Amino acid sequence: MERARDVKKVHPAVVSAQAFQVADHRPVERLFEDAEGKDRRDKALSRYPEKKGALLPMLAYAQERNGWISANNMEEIALTLDLTPAYVRSVATFYTMYAKRPVGKYWIQVCTCISCHVNRGEEVFEAFLEHTGTRAGEVSDDGKWTVIEAECLGACGFATAVQVNDQYFENVTPETVPEVLAQLEKGGSEE
Amino acid sequence: MNETTSEAINLTIDGVEVTVPKGTTVLQAAERAGVVVPHYCYHPGIPSRPAQCRMCLVEIEGQPKLQPSCVLSATDGMSILTQSDTAKEARRSVIEFLLLNHPIDCPICDAAGQCMLQDYAFETHQLESRSHEAKLVLGRDRIADDILYFADRCILCTRCVRFMRDVAGDEALLVAQRGHKAYIDTFPGKDLENEFRGNIVDVCPVGALVHEDFLFKPRSWDMDSAPSVCPGCSNGCNIDIAVKENQIVRVKPRYNADVNGFWMCDHGRKHLVMANRGSRIDLPLIRRHGELEAVHWGEALEWLSTNLPEGGSGHAVVSAFDATESLAAVRALLGRIGIEGGGYRLSRGHEAELGGFPQLKLRAERAPNAAGAELFGFGETDGLPEVSDGDTLVVVGDRLADAPADYGEGAGFFLYIGSHLSDAARNATAILPATTFAEMEGTFVNHEGRVQRFHQALVPPGVARPTWMILRRLLGLGHGEVTMLEARDAFAVAASESGRLAGLNWDEVGLKGVNPGGTAAPVAK
Repeated sequence: MERARDVKKVHPAVVSAQAFQVADHRPVERLFEDAEGKDRRDKALSRYPEKKGALLPMLAYAQERNGWISANNMEEIALTLDLTPAYVRSVATFYTMYAKRPVGKYWIQVCTCISCHVNRGEEVFEAFLEHTGTRAGEVSDDGKWTVIEAECLGACGFATAVQVNDQYFENVTPETVPEVLAQLEKGGSEE
Repeated sequence: MNETTSEAINLTIDGVEVTVPKGTTVLQAAERAGVVVPHYCYHPGIPSRPAQCRMCLVEIEGQPKLQPSCVLSATDGMSILTQSDTAKEARRSVIEFLLLNHPIDCPICDAAGQCMLQDYAFETHQLESRSHEAKLVLGRDRIADDILYFADRCILCTRCVRFMRDVAGDEALLVAQRGHKAYIDTFPGKDLENEFRGNIVDVCPVGALVHEDFLFKPRSWDMDSAPSVCPGCSNGCNIDIAVKENQIVRVKPRYNADVNGFWMCDHGRKHLVMANRGSRIDLPLIRRHGELEAVHWGEALEWLSTNLPEGGSGHAVVSAFDATESLAAVRALLGRIGIEGGGYRLSRGHEAELGGFPQLKLRAERAPNAAGAELFGFGETDGLPEVSDGDTLVVVGDRLADAPADYGEGAGFFLYIGSHLSDAARNATAILPATTFAEMEGTFVNHEGRVQRFHQALVPPGVARPTWMILRRLLGLGHGEVTMLEARDAFAVAASESGRLAGLNWDEVGLKGVNPGGTAAPVAK
């Protein structure tokens, strides 16, 4: 039954799949082995009437811990919550905020939803790709940048909104993109 | 799922009044009225109804908004319009959206001709797209050893995902990503290995999921199909055999609520396509002066009726793959030449049950008619009988594929009736070409004693004839018996000779089969 599916390449099902959505098989240390992991697991489980409810927080924890969610972490979460790995993956890929393989140091999520769309969101997205020299969802050669399109970031009053890791940039235009990048490169989190 | 009760309600569908039990959905009620409401995500065999394809929208008179009929319960006095302008417009829009990124590669698509998207798209007369955008290309993937997934053709009805989750109880398929990027996938590195996975190809309303061994082979309009019964195990699943140029190209389950529902297992599907292989016996052969010689039927049967020894010690080997009618005829022949007993060999394998439809089980006994053989006094044997010099040996149906090449050499008379010529079968004194079950009409008796008819799907090679026809004619020679030409007559005789099937009527058995006793026949466990 074992077939050779080249896991290093982009998933064959979807030519247009962005790299951050494609599963990575590199094993990552288990989530719920050490004291901290166990603590986070128990807290998540205690918060919901059903085990299944703890799925999103657990995925978020995996990402918080490693910067991305590996296939073996998904399997571990599935086992913990009595779900199938397939179900966990369907949830993890539904949300673009979860990275399914390592992303750059700066994960740039450009909103292209309605308000940002009418304020040149797509052009901003293209500008980010151009200035970082990457393709959508891929990591730049220096490991710094990954740019993806995001759904509404809830900052419609300040379109185009861009979220970089946990930080928001507002009123971004294609012209101010180099500024944003320079700012990030200079000091990162202090705006 | 809607539970139906005995309380009856009346409603009107496109002006046709129907009475249905309370709890029936409008879509099911419409079927009663003779109206098929187009649908994709609804499948009668899958319990969950997400109502997500929006294809089955209908208008309820007096209500401004359309409702999905697959989840809408019929209520008393309701008046449904499935062909109103608003309902048609809604369906037209759904189709238009589905076709936005669909490659429309019908000329190379396996589903063309049997595709619900193709049918409904033609119905809505949208022969040209209004879109000027480039189509999204998603490509394809292998999701199981033998199943390919064409993501571009997929309309995301999620029938396959829900079949795996709700019916197979093995949630191994998933919808990855969302919106226009969504596609069906397995967990990376884990192919679909469920034994009932082939059903996801059947439930797919379009050509997104295809069997690799069927891929690009026949077009649907080039195939003939015959209702049959799966010979893969003793469960007796009802199937349709699709045939092109006298080769079995595909096997699909045929609905039978009492046996297999809408489903069948992969063992059955693969097993039957194998039936095309092997070289066949197509002429009667008799041994004269030490050499096998091809003769015509009349001569072969005349020769047999004079040369077949009666009395003396003898052995008989039959096959649980043979039709009940043939087994009855073998018993009659053995009675004539004074051989008692006789047995069949049975191979066994693992079992697998379909969680959502427990009547359907890949059963350990890998033959369709062990129960039928038991009816005529044949018992299961571990191996082939020891043949001493001078014994009479009658082998019917068993291919002797694993027998030593000198098996039966010492027999005084060795009659072989079968479809394939193995080394051991070449030792026979007379070899008569028989059809396989796919080349004849007949019945199988399944593990619970249910009698089911199968129809002829293939043309037999050469002058091969059903075993019952050969033997009944042989028995009739010189005895003034009526020659039987039809399976219904053979069945009537077999039924009268069996005891348990007595009084059963060929027409009554029909396409769905009947279980005469209601209780299980003494089947080998």
